Amino acid sequence: MEALKTIRPELLTLAPDQLRALSPYLFVFAGTLLAILFSAARVVKSRWPAFLIFIVSSIIGTVAALVLLREPPTLLFNGMMSSDAYANSFCVIFLVSAIVTAASSLKYLDNEELQQPEYYVLILFSALGMMLMASALDLIVMFIAFELMSLAVYMLVGFRRNDRRSNEAAMKYFILGSAASAVLLYGVALLYGATGSTSIRGIFAYLQAASGQGVTPVFAIGAWFAVLGFLFKIAVVPFHMWMPDVYEGAPVPVTGFMTTGLKAAAFAAFLRVFIATGYGSGVSAVIQNHIHDILWVSAVLTMVIGNVIALTQTNLKRMLAYSSIAHSGYILVGMIAGPLSEQGYAPVFMYLTAYAVMNLGAFVILTSLAARNDGGLNLHDFSGLSRRHPWLAFSLAIFMFSLAGIPPTAGFSAKYVLFYSAIQANEIPLVVISVLCSLISVYYYLRVLVYMYMRDTPDEVPVRRRVSVWSAAAIAAMVILTLQIGVLPARIVAAAKKAVTSL
Amino acid sequence: MAWLDSHLLTATVFLPLAWAFVGLAIPAGAGVNSFARVLVKTWAFFGAILTLTLSAMIYTRYVPTGSEFQLVENVAWISALGISYHVGVDGLSLWLVLLTTFLMPIVILSSFNAIEERTKEYYFLLLVLESAILGTFLALDIFLFYVFWEVMLVPMYFLIGIWGGREKIYAAMKFFVYTMFGSLIMLVGIFYLAYQHKIQFGAYSMDFVSLYKLQLNGGTFLATQSVLFLAFALAFAIKVPLFPLHTWLPDAHVQAPTAGSVILASVLLKMGGYGFMRIAFPILPLGVAYYQVTFMILGSVAIVYGAWVAMVQPDIKKLVAYSSVSHMGYVILGLFSLNAIAATGAYFQMLSHGISTGALFLLVGMIYERRHTREIGDFGGLSRVMPLFAIAFMIIVLSSMALPGTNGFIGEFLVLLGSWRTSPALAGVAALGVIFGAVYMLWMFQRVMYGPITRKENEGLSDLSAREALVLAPLLVAVFVMGIFPNVVLDKLEPAIDRFVARSRGEVRIETAEVLNPRDIAELSAILKEKEE
Repeated sequence: MEALKTIRPELLTLAPDQLRALSPYLFVFAGTLLAILFSAARVVKSRWPAFLIFIVSSIIGTVAALVLLREPPTLLFNGMMSSDAYANSFCVIFLVSAIVTAASSLKYLDNEELQQPEYYVLILFSALGMMLMASALDLIVMFIAFELMSLAVYMLVGFRRNDRRSNEAAMKYFILGSAASAVLLYGVALLYGATGSTSIRGIFAYLQAASGQGVTPVFAIGAWFAVLGFLFKIAVVPFHMWMPDVYEGAPVPVTGFMTTGLKAAAFAAFLRVFIATGYGSGVSAVIQNHIHDILWVSAVLTMVIGNVIALTQTNLKRMLAYSSIAHSGYILVGMIAGPLSEQGYAPVFMYLTAYAVMNLGAFVILTSLAARNDGGLNLHDFSGLSRRHPWLAFSLAIFMFSLAGIPPTAGFSAKYVLFYSAIQANEIPLVVISVLCSLISVYYYLRVLVYMYMRDTPDEVPVRRRVSVWSAAAIAAMVILTLQIGVLPARIVAAAKKAVTSL
Repeated sequence: MAWLDSHLLTATVFLPLAWAFVGLAIPAGAGVNSFARVLVKTWAFFGAILTLTLSAMIYTRYVPTGSEFQLVENVAWISALGISYHVGVDGLSLWLVLLTTFLMPIVILSSFNAIEERTKEYYFLLLVLESAILGTFLALDIFLFYVFWEVMLVPMYFLIGIWGGREKIYAAMKFFVYTMFGSLIMLVGIFYLAYQHKIQFGAYSMDFVSLYKLQLNGGTFLATQSVLFLAFALAFAIKVPLFPLHTWLPDAHVQAPTAGSVILASVLLKMGGYGFMRIAFPILPLGVAYYQVTFMILGSVAIVYGAWVAMVQPDIKKLVAYSSVSHMGYVILGLFSLNAIAATGAYFQMLSHGISTGALFLLVGMIYERRHTREIGDFGGLSRVMPLFAIAFMIIVLSSMALPGTNGFIGEFLVLLGSWRTSPALAGVAALGVIFGAVYMLWMFQRVMYGPITRKENEGLSDLSAREALVLAPLLVAVFVMGIFPNVVLDKLEPAIDRFVARSRGEVRIETAEVLNPRDIAELSAILKEKEE
């Protein structure tokens, strides 16, 4: 692919099929603009216009992405973006998690007296950034998409303006996130210096040409920086310090959105770059070995530390934050195994999907139960929940079993496929460590069930909160999806395969 | 009916599950004896009876001389990984299925008065548990087996954790995490087997029958078969439970409600033995040969150790729990003796332990409901006030001690006979267990039932009610039928046992009747010979 040396306007015009391929982005973007207009004008002093525009545009966007899944991949903007099965499958994950987040936020924001239309605009903006990240084929585009997503999320994290923890979280996230972006950008610059291209395919072509004689040190350092930047973004040990504080400070639905959408987006972009830096493609043995070791150590540390610290948490939100670190570790196992196993990166995609579904479900329930200022999420507040809210407790139980990886749930089938691929890659010690780590996780996930089902309601009975219809619908949908992926995983396995083969 | 003919096993497995979900729709009743509650109980009871009927149909249709697996259903499930929904019945699964469906109505009937809280959820979980157990026994795909194996933990966890005794949460957690530990290690083994199948035969498959054909090297400590065997044996030995992995059992048994203890002792422990017979032995014959002596020693230790610990227990339920450790030791000893007599004995021992220990837990539950204590010291002289109870208790105690004429005798006798051929010394140690078994059982019986009534509370105890008699009657009948006419069971068991022994000795790869390649045979016979010397 020829590098973009001079801007040639004729390459930037869009043919009808390209316009079609862009439709999910256009719908979401249109929705964003409309929502801004309504919220800026404050024509109607109510949450409904922004919310409804949000829901409608993201549902249309999801449908468009689903339709595009059946069509052949299209290159856009001179090869800087690609609308392939990979991008479109991820778009579905992002938009669904955005919809679920918004649906659960509606009542939450009322309770917190934070109901402002900007909230929905920001979620939509970050969803758009995520979609662009998954489809970017050029590191510059990827970086811009990254910032679009991150800036919106920084604001969402600090959305509870009057709460100190929320402000602290936003500030921490902003500073550390910028540092990570800088590292990533530096890596991109070095890669450009070494290869003369910022396009993923260009870098890949350089690698193929250079295979056999090894890569230059500049390239190796660039690849390292890029990988480290991403490791920071996906918050694996030892780059995880910012995460629990940010997750705890952010409003509950935003935390849910970050653990699912944001994480999936970071992994989506990471995978694309990962292949370009020579690991995934298996082009350069030197880089392959180096990065393999970095990732191996990082995966083990992530799983062990994430799970062990989650074990000591008494606050459910914080526990899920640490467990989210642990789940990143499992996904890293899939990435290590990817190039060497027959399934390729399909298990990674499948795990991200399953994790998004079950974790979103758990966070919607947390959102519905949170008391003012995100209190009331300690373990003992869940005592006797099965009597106060039998259906919420039942759903949360399913999500906990799924997160712990117990059949027949999404978490189990995803873990099964993932660890199986790692065995195929001959990573037996890694798999043994992984399953032992998930044994640790069984304990803290089940502890939630102990409180909900086996302990009696505390003396001062917490207020029984009414669950909004929107949240209830979101929870029901996530429960059904969790069980569906768990009992009949054949479809999602096929979809994952299709998504990653288009990489 | 045509559908039922071709899907009999699926119907049996999923009927309790479907029944359970319909039962959830019954509105919760207010009082203990409200109409809704009675309806919930009866509904569950009839669900279990219907499942028993279906399993009786399996019994009548299973022809022992026919093909290995019968009533087979095989549907692709996750074809990308070679996983299928594959169920079928053979002699090994048939009797454990019958044991499960036979005990379930009894267990449900026994908890009619014991469970007053969250009645609906209780029966829901019992029926879900039944489905999971039946699925484990009937699965012919290792993935399907694993799924049912794990699902079974969930209802049991809630049964112990919600309706259990004072230490219920600790016991439930210990039970779950302990078992899960073994299962996860087994899962890694399953991955490896499936991967090997892909390498050796070029296609993914998770079927037991195709995994039986795998050729893996063995004979040394780090050989594939030895390592894999340990991975599987860990999961199954925890379930059995084999000394020294038995520590979860006394907690779980004592804390669980009566129905939970019965199911746990009678059926869930058998899943360990069944796992050995279905997976570990036939797939990994060289691994079995390598660890044969180790496990035989552990089995004999378990027999004696379990009996000794049982002897000093002040709590009747704990005594019964440790007696399970002792009785299941015979199963391990019998299986690892690797001959048809001992294997038949081990299997028979699993069934008769299911009947007599289940009955013991029910009897303990009955006096606990009356006195709310299980301390042996709180009783004495009960036979004077509860004559019918005393008779039933006596019969079950005798069967548990393996008196000739009862079911316990056949199993233990065959195990001792068979293991004598492999290792006379260990058979001798195990025979001591029979004596200790008589000691702790009779001593407990004497202290509880005979002598003067020392406590005033015991004077007014009522004898068995009609419902309780109905609960015990089928078990008492089974004790004598199995003890006097063991051929009822053995006839439908033999061909399956023969196949099992042949496979575990690595003599033939059945189904294709392929003989192992000469190198493996030489290797194997060398190992076996070494062991015999």
